[in-house]
Amino acid sequence: MSRLSTPPSSTLVNRSKPLVFEYNGRRIDACEGDTVASALMASGVDILSRSFKYHRPRGHLCGEGHCPNCMMNVDGSPNVRICSEKVCNGMVVKHQNAIPSPEFDLLAITQKFDFLMPAGFYYKIFHKPRFMWPVFEHFIRKVAGLGVVDGKTPPYRYERQHLRADVVVVGGGPSGLSAALGAAEAGASVTLVEQDSFLGGHFRFQNPESSGFKKVLELEKQVRAKSNIRVLTGAVAFGLYEGNMLGVVQGRRTVRIRAKRVVVASGILERPFVFGNNDLPGIMLGRAVQRLLNLYGVQPGKRAVVVGSNDRALDVAADLLHAGVEVAAYADQRERINDSLESVKLLKSKGVALLPATTAVSADGKMHIRSVTLGPVAGRGENIRLDCDLLVLSVGGDPAIHLVQQGGARGFFEEHRVEFIAKRLGEGHFVAGDSNGVHHEDSILLDGRRAGLAAAQGLGSVDHAAEIADLESRLSANPAVVLNPKTMVAPDGSGKRFVCVCEDVTEKDVCDAIREGFDGIETLKRYSTVSMGPCQGKMCQMSAIGICARETNRTIEETGSTVSRPPFIPITLGALTGRNYHPHKTVPTHSRHAALNAKVISLGDWLRPEMYSNPAEESRAVHERVGLIDVSTLGRIDLRGTDVVKLLDKVYINSWGNLKVGRTRYGVMCDDTGIVFDDGTCARLGDQHYFMTTTTSGVDGVYQWLTSWMAGTSLDVCVTNVTSGYGGVNIAGPRAKEVLGKLTSLNLDSKEFPYMGCVQGQVAGVPCILFRIGFVGELGYEVHFPSFYGEYMWDVIMDAGKEFDIRPFGVETQRILRLQKSHIIIGQDTDAITNPLEANLAWAVKFDKPDFIGRRAIFEAKKQGIKKSLVGFVTRHGEVPEEGTQVMENGYSVGRVTSARFSPHLNKSIGLAWVPTARAKDGQPILIRSKGEWVIADVVTHPFYDPEGARMKG
Amino acid sequence: MSYLIPCPHCGQRDVGEFRFGGEKGSRPTNPDQLNASQWAHYTYDRKNVMGMQTEWWYHRGGCRQWFLATRSTITNIVEKTWLP
Ligand code: FES
Ligand SMILES: [Zn+2]
Repeated sequence: MSRLSTPPSSTLVNRSKPLVFEYNGRRIDACEGDTVASALMASGVDILSRSFKYHRPRGHLCGEGHCPNCMMNVDGSPNVRICSEKVCNGMVVKHQNAIPSPEFDLLAITQKFDFLMPAGFYYKIFHKPRFMWPVFEHFIRKVAGLGVVDGKTPPYRYERQHLRADVVVVGGGPSGLSAALGAAEAGASVTLVEQDSFLGGHFRFQNPESSGFKKVLELEKQVRAKSNIRVLTGAVAFGLYEGNMLGVVQGRRTVRIRAKRVVVASGILERPFVFGNNDLPGIMLGRAVQRLLNLYGVQPGKRAVVVGSNDRALDVAADLLHAGVEVAAYADQRERINDSLESVKLLKSKGVALLPATTAVSADGKMHIRSVTLGPVAGRGENIRLDCDLLVLSVGGDPAIHLVQQGGARGFFEEHRVEFIAKRLGEGHFVAGDSNGVHHEDSILLDGRRAGLAAAQGLGSVDHAAEIADLESRLSANPAVVLNPKTMVAPDGSGKRFVCVCEDVTEKDVCDAIREGFDGIETLKRYSTVSMGPCQGKMCQMSAIGICARETNRTIEETGSTVSRPPFIPITLGALTGRNYHPHKTVPTHSRHAALNAKVISLGDWLRPEMYSNPAEESRAVHERVGLIDVSTLGRIDLRGTDVVKLLDKVYINSWGNLKVGRTRYGVMCDDTGIVFDDGTCARLGDQHYFMTTTTSGVDGVYQWLTSWMAGTSLDVCVTNVTSGYGGVNIAGPRAKEVLGKLTSLNLDSKEFPYMGCVQGQVAGVPCILFRIGFVGELGYEVHFPSFYGEYMWDVIMDAGKEFDIRPFGVETQRILRLQKSHIIIGQDTDAITNPLEANLAWAVKFDKPDFIGRRAIFEAKKQGIKKSLVGFVTRHGEVPEEGTQVMENGYSVGRVTSARFSPHLNKSIGLAWVPTARAKDGQPILIRSKGEWVIADVVTHPFYDPEGARMKG
Repeated sequence: MSYLIPCPHCGQRDVGEFRFGGEKGSRPTNPDQLNASQWAHYTYDRKNVMGMQTEWWYHRGGCRQWFLATRSTITNIVEKTWLP
């Protein structure tokens, strides 16, 4: 193997631009445009890997990114198909699955033990005796398999992109280019997705003198000139999903394309052929050979034998001759070879033996093919043996209909063409060219245009029905070209006959599995692992079906094929996840917390100050003087209308009609199964005007909940989520009234503005809504102001509080303060099965209301009796059990801790826990298992701090 | 899931913009007269049809409105949508 002395004009390689990379520690010279595989082959490396089970040497096979043979580790990424990976300067490439190297692999010893690995060996061997399995497993993992993920490689960055198009054409070959042009001319916006780095498909790697080559160059020019065609090269459409959404992966970018119509023009997947030792390096598929010659200028061998079954095979043989390769023989599985073809004339003039009705029977060689034995297709007659270092298989292929099958189409077997054709296509799906079973050179182009026009029908203003009909009649006038031979298996011959190169499954394995009863194609696949390898059956599915049909005396149609599911090619998890964006909301006072060096934490969507100094200092300020906390993250919903009380009475378990204007009330919401899902306060600002606060994370759900109960009714309520319109702070502590008094002329006297009162008025000149509430257990004012006054309000309050030594306090201190009061947090202290009776909220449940959401279920729960209760506890020795740890009794878990903190003020460790209701009495001891230690605690059924609430109410 | 839903306000949008609101049903008007199993039937049992189903959807990434849709549970094709 070497570079051709003069590269063909079709080459992608720029020999004047040298590159270097490293392969297994060795320096390899390459040129711009080379793939890793072409550069390695030009440097004489022909064993690229070792096989999955038997560690047989494997070389370049399909050249199109499907077969497993060329998988290597490239710059830390395992399982990269190097036949499709462009060389970059300085790349580091390493082999996989061989010790120490693919050329000399100690693990090849496994071949000697192939009797241990019959069909279905997974189910038969190695797991007995049972204690030996770990030993076997360790060895099997080492020996079998693919590349290894190296945890040290820094992660690559993956991107995601969203595109739209009227028509997406998958495949940039001749039919795809024609389809894109047709659709674009009809006025559609088109995106063309091509797997290779170049356009033109298999015409592009034909001989540059061929008519096909010239046609696609011209087509490419026209496509590139169209402003309404976007071309994505090096991009594989791996899935066609609902709503015509295509998943495309382009390097480290995943592109989701939403299309109105989809044309699949993805060509064929070339098939290998089953014969003895058919996996030896030096045995290549025709398209791989044409790519090496015409795209990369690499000579794949010196003396070749070509086995074909169609006229494309003759072109491959001719290309080899042009490149100066000796062709020892051309064997064709057909009865007749068409003498009038230019390629045949060339072969004859060079004295190449043409052997009709002949096929490969077996190959010989140790590390590389040395000779091939040819024999009659029918199986009877004489065999001939020819020396060669290259055996080219050009025996047809399978239309790549995977995508349309994912989209709902079914493959129907066409007996005379020996291939599956997609029919009953999903809505808006079209197939064209080779993938549509159309293989005649002119027809491929016509069929592409037909599909492109048909896909654009109805999207533009012009009707193309007449041209489509004309194209259809021209298509039916062209001769049908058959690519595939009747059988994919040689009649006889010695050596291992591989069906599935990915999984090292031979014809014998498949036959054994069928004889053991696994004769349905799906069960055969699972049991023998045929077609379960990295290529997912692209190389072996047809041979497997063929053998299954032959062994069970069924037709191919009766045997059926396996289901095609995304992804069409292997894709990395990184490409699927993309980059992780995690946006945050900041509170309107955020800059002030930053200036105070607060420790900021992420809570749900929000960034909130957790702590400014320490909980001891902060809570002392609140208890003794005054503290200030930002509560901007509370959800806020404004409700107005004549039916507002009706709505509130329906969604809250509490009653609302009797709430006076200027008062607020704690409210709890349940669903119709009686489960608590949110709480907050709701104030009556006017006769028909309420202002609701919700939990920080619950506001969207509550808003949707409220509006869902209004949908389709005539309730007159205007519900507005005003959360982000307001900022808020809570001024709490015995001196809070004095601080606030300096900023407002509102009467703060407890008679005018009592506990659970609310007023609207100006604070420091800003219109605010004020509530007197006591979440943290001290006298407190919650002040809500238009959010853009956030920094101003923070500053004036801090200023006014200076003389009282005001302190800002964070979320952590607030959690301790509320725990001292046994105030629960919905979602932390309750879960998805908590009803209000269990959560000490029985007082809020107003059964006297005729109905509310949850009433019936809570009533039922009451009737059945409460079995568990949420109670407070104090640990005896000051331990703070981890939240979520178990409350134990007689060795069983009977409850769990939901909150626990050390309270600096009480100098005790306190918490809330679920316990059996029988234990929910003051002084009952409970046993908590936390971090492997036993913690004894005593139940407390009232607030730990100021149980009468005198401080917050006073 | 990548199908499209035509929001009555906003037009064709990706399903990811919406919240599923469940099968259309109606809440009993006489909860007190129902026994526990009848109530459980309303809260927990769904028809779960194979075929066309009328259901609630909420357009959270758009107009924030509830609407009704008929969708095939086999193909996920949304036949039509309308406001209640
Ligand atoms: S050859 Fe790849 S799965 Fe069989
Ligand atoms: Zn909408």
